[in-house]
Amino acid sequence: MRHAQTAVLERGAEFTGEFATEPYELPWAAEARFFVQVIDPAPGTVTLTTQLSPDGLNWIDAEHLAAVELDTTGVGMVTWRVSEFGGWLRLRGAARPTDAGRGPRLRIHLVAKE
Amino acid sequence: MLAADPALSRFDPLPRILTYDNFDHGTNGWTELIGNYDGNGDLSTVDDHMRDFRPPQVSNCTFFDTGTHGALTGDYALKLATRPYVGHTAVAIRRLTMARKGLVQLETHFTYKAEATLGTDAANNSFGGVTWDGNLHPSEAQFGAFTVATDICGDGGLRYHTVMRYRNTTVDNKLDQRWVYPVVPEPTPREHLQGRVKLGYGDDFTAPDPNDWHPASEPMAMCYNEVPTKVNWHYLRWLIDTDARRNVELQINDTTLDLREVPVPVYTDRYDSLENLLNFYFSVRTHSGVRNFLYLDSVLVSVDW
Repeated sequence: MRHAQTAVLERGAEFTGEFATEPYELPWAAEARFFVQVIDPAPGTVTLTTQLSPDGLNWIDAEHLAAVELDTTGVGMVTWRVSEFGGWLRLRGAARPTDAGRGPRLRIHLVAKE
Repeated sequence: MLAADPALSRFDPLPRILTYDNFDHGTNGWTELIGNYDGNGDLSTVDDHMRDFRPPQVSNCTFFDTGTHGALTGDYALKLATRPYVGHTAVAIRRLTMARKGLVQLETHFTYKAEATLGTDAANNSFGGVTWDGNLHPSEAQFGAFTVATDICGDGGLRYHTVMRYRNTTVDNKLDQRWVYPVVPEPTPREHLQGRVKLGYGDDFTAPDPNDWHPASEPMAMCYNEVPTKVNWHYLRWLIDTDARRNVELQINDTTLDLREVPVPVYTDRYDSLENLLNFYFSVRTHSGVRNFLYLDSVLVSVDW
């Protein structure tokens, strides 16, 4: 069988500024897909950038993927695919809620396959 | 039979092997633990200290200095990784049930590491009373503790945990390196819902008061191997008795601890929906705020049933 694994990188945390998800090591995987859901809306946007790393310590934006813009005013979901990513993945994000002090709550899944 | 199989000959199982997990073949049923949630799947109802135990990773043990280390055999190990937050715990659990009661044994080849620190600050050469001297490395004092434990329930809802923890450092980051066990049962989501307990995000979910952990051994040095990027695999064998609801013994490499007198606290309340529960978990907890990692090359559970 082909190995596959789904990891929940964030489960509903509130985001109000710049952030990065925890490093996730998946050297066995050839393809992956992020799903980002707005669980609890807040007016504004979140920009999400896929990042790669050779060692889990030093990070760089994926050269072949544009940043993803997510409107967090209502519930919703965005997804994109990632390939040829080396052994690690994470997301760099910037939340820009229009109401100062309250950001959206996001759930982030990473689905990987051999 | 065992001697003829190089994979199984690394273990010393009881007569029946229930599970043999080699992480070259995926996660083998080891999954992230989470607390309980309400009827709407609202995860904000999960206890703060049980909502972020982090997904396990299938790792080839890659480091910044030498690249891929690999596992004991093959490429991959199961990796539990904490956040860089003081007190944060990562937990992977495996969920079985009991077909009978009796002896149950868990064996694993494992290792543990704190994340490497890269920078130019001379202060990074010392931590927790350990100063880099070309042999000892402050990374070793940045690793908190790892735990192997069970969650068992039967006989009409009688529930208990057997728990063994290697407390590498105390919560104030001093090397301790003793095996310890809790003298209280783990706080549960039901106790929280009933208003009997409320723990914070980084609290120790197994037993939150450090005074409730009692030593089961003298200090026992491991082979951390100096720096945070050299991996030496250790052997662990833990025997419990689900008929007597007791620990029996714990072997780590060349040392075996007799655990027959270690108390196993039982919940005073009975639990529904858990009949014949037999869960195993591994956890890793950082006391320093540096990410801590527990790597499992393979895990074997056997019984005398």
